[in-house]
Amino acid sequence: MKFKTLLLSSMIVASTAAVAEPTNRLFATNERDNTVSVIDSRTNKVEATIDVGQRPRGIGLSPDQKLLYVAISDDNAIAVVDVNTLEVLKTLDSGDDPETFGVNPVTGHIVISNEDDGEATFLDPKSNEKLAVVKVGIEPEGVAVSPTGKYALVTSESSNMVHIIETTNYKLVANLVVAARPRGLAFNSDGSLAYATSEIGNEVAIIDMETYKIIKKAAIDVENSKPMDIKVSPDDKMLYVTTGRGNSVAFLDAETLELKGNVPVGKRVWGLDLSKDGSRLYTADGVDGTVSVVDTAKQERIETIKVGAFPWGVALDD
Amino acid sequence: MNHVKKYGIVLVFVWPQLGFAEEIDVTMHYVGPTEGQVWLGVQQGIEEANLQGGFLGQKYQLEVVEPEALETTDIETVLLLATDDEFTMKVAQTDKYAAVPIINLNSTSDKLREACLPNLFHVTPSEQMRADALAQWQEKNPDKPAKAQSWHQDFVKFAARQLNSRFEKNQGEEMSDDAWAGWAGTKMIADSVVQTMQYDAAFMLNHLKTDLVFDGQKGDNANFRENGQLRQILLLVDNDNKILAEAPLRGFKGGLDSLGKVTCK
Repeated sequence: MKFKTLLLSSMIVASTAAVAEPTNRLFATNERDNTVSVIDSRTNKVEATIDVGQRPRGIGLSPDQKLLYVAISDDNAIAVVDVNTLEVLKTLDSGDDPETFGVNPVTGHIVISNEDDGEATFLDPKSNEKLAVVKVGIEPEGVAVSPTGKYALVTSESSNMVHIIETTNYKLVANLVVAARPRGLAFNSDGSLAYATSEIGNEVAIIDMETYKIIKKAAIDVENSKPMDIKVSPDDKMLYVTTGRGNSVAFLDAETLELKGNVPVGKRVWGLDLSKDGSRLYTADGVDGTVSVVDTAKQERIETIKVGAFPWGVALDD
Repeated sequence: MNHVKKYGIVLVFVWPQLGFAEEIDVTMHYVGPTEGQVWLGVQQGIEEANLQGGFLGQKYQLEVVEPEALETTDIETVLLLATDDEFTMKVAQTDKYAAVPIINLNSTSDKLREACLPNLFHVTPSEQMRADALAQWQEKNPDKPAKAQSWHQDFVKFAARQLNSRFEKNQGEEMSDDAWAGWAGTKMIADSVVQTMQYDAAFMLNHLKTDLVFDGQKGDNANFRENGQLRQILLLVDNDNKILAEAPLRGFKGGLDSLGKVTCK
């Protein structure tokens, strides 16, 4: 009883807590040297490097932006880092081989793709408790949670699917077939539409979240394009997609999926983040070992920042 | 406190329970050994097909056909062959199978590729592909002997690590070239059914020729040349069984088609 009251009051505190003053730090996971590079996004200089754990890949912030989560795949854990002190506070038991994750913006729960087990794990980071494990297809990869917190989407790369899971009861409500090797996922601002990229199929698909149907799909007309991560502009008009060995960020009209621009960045670009005002894109350029800064209005790379070995993902605290 | 916390954990394992618009049962026919690596690869492919299909109301099964019973067997979707050159050629030239896709999982014969039979597809790389991969390697590394393979148990790139690990876990052996061929030949059919919701042999034949987008877990989209050979990278491996490089090597023009292009005869 006492525990229940405690839990309840802490939930209320959490849900009403204001977002912390942003540090304007940009974090990048370096898959091959087990670190996170910390970049001051106002100066674009690396200010610190954190030893985070084995094979860091997926990266994201808590809804209050006080904590940074990092999937440390070979430790089978999520590392929790204080964005201010840069201290690794604890690790959470993520289940086997976590590749990446999404954070529920309402509950703060973390939804993890467990690549080798074909599962999605729902985790409460406060109590470090597993809430549910949902069986998905082979090699789950990308995860996104809708802005309302109601849906979690998970791609399974080798089963060519986007799985739609309701977060209230952990039920699979739809399994949508998309082109070969689906990777990244994103929602528009009200969560009515979702977008999925397919690496080998070189395709972007638009999912209507009311009908759970794919309403449009198109190839990206960029040489060697292998679409990976995806973000949506704050006005929902533009999609930004990293093209992997296409070494660029493709700008697509969010409605027609027409190519509106293509900005060369570093080699084998994977992870992507977008500033809240929509003016800057940040990419993890794996082979080059750099983070590129792209001006979205000018459609050009304005800065290249050297980070660690094989950067995988980026997250901006703004 | 700990006590309460312990019982507070609710772990839910959820399996898909959806209504399916269209249930599909697919039977793939197979002639070949029912042991060894090709067979294990086919088994792995069918298991993965059922895992994938389970989310969509699709079921996949393998029907093993004895060579002598082939004449009286109707092939619904595909005929997988892990047989010798002669038998493969004979079956592919039988009128009855003119509109049936036949997948060669075993033979590396250049002659079979040069025959350019319209219904015959080769998942396994040809002798010429291996020779060309080796020639590229030797041009750049004249003093270092190597051999060309289509797969290796230590290959990790392009999610090969994940395929190797699940194959070993499920089949109890490391994955070799033959197992990859068995897996790929089966999985590409299942992936095609999932993408098109069709499984009629004539449809599948045309799909494999014109529209196939297959993720063989070794990089680029794997599709077929006009002569029926699957485009794919090869691995160059040294005498100590260490992976040296992937062919086509950098600096050679023609991409995947720099390996094993043959003229139809």
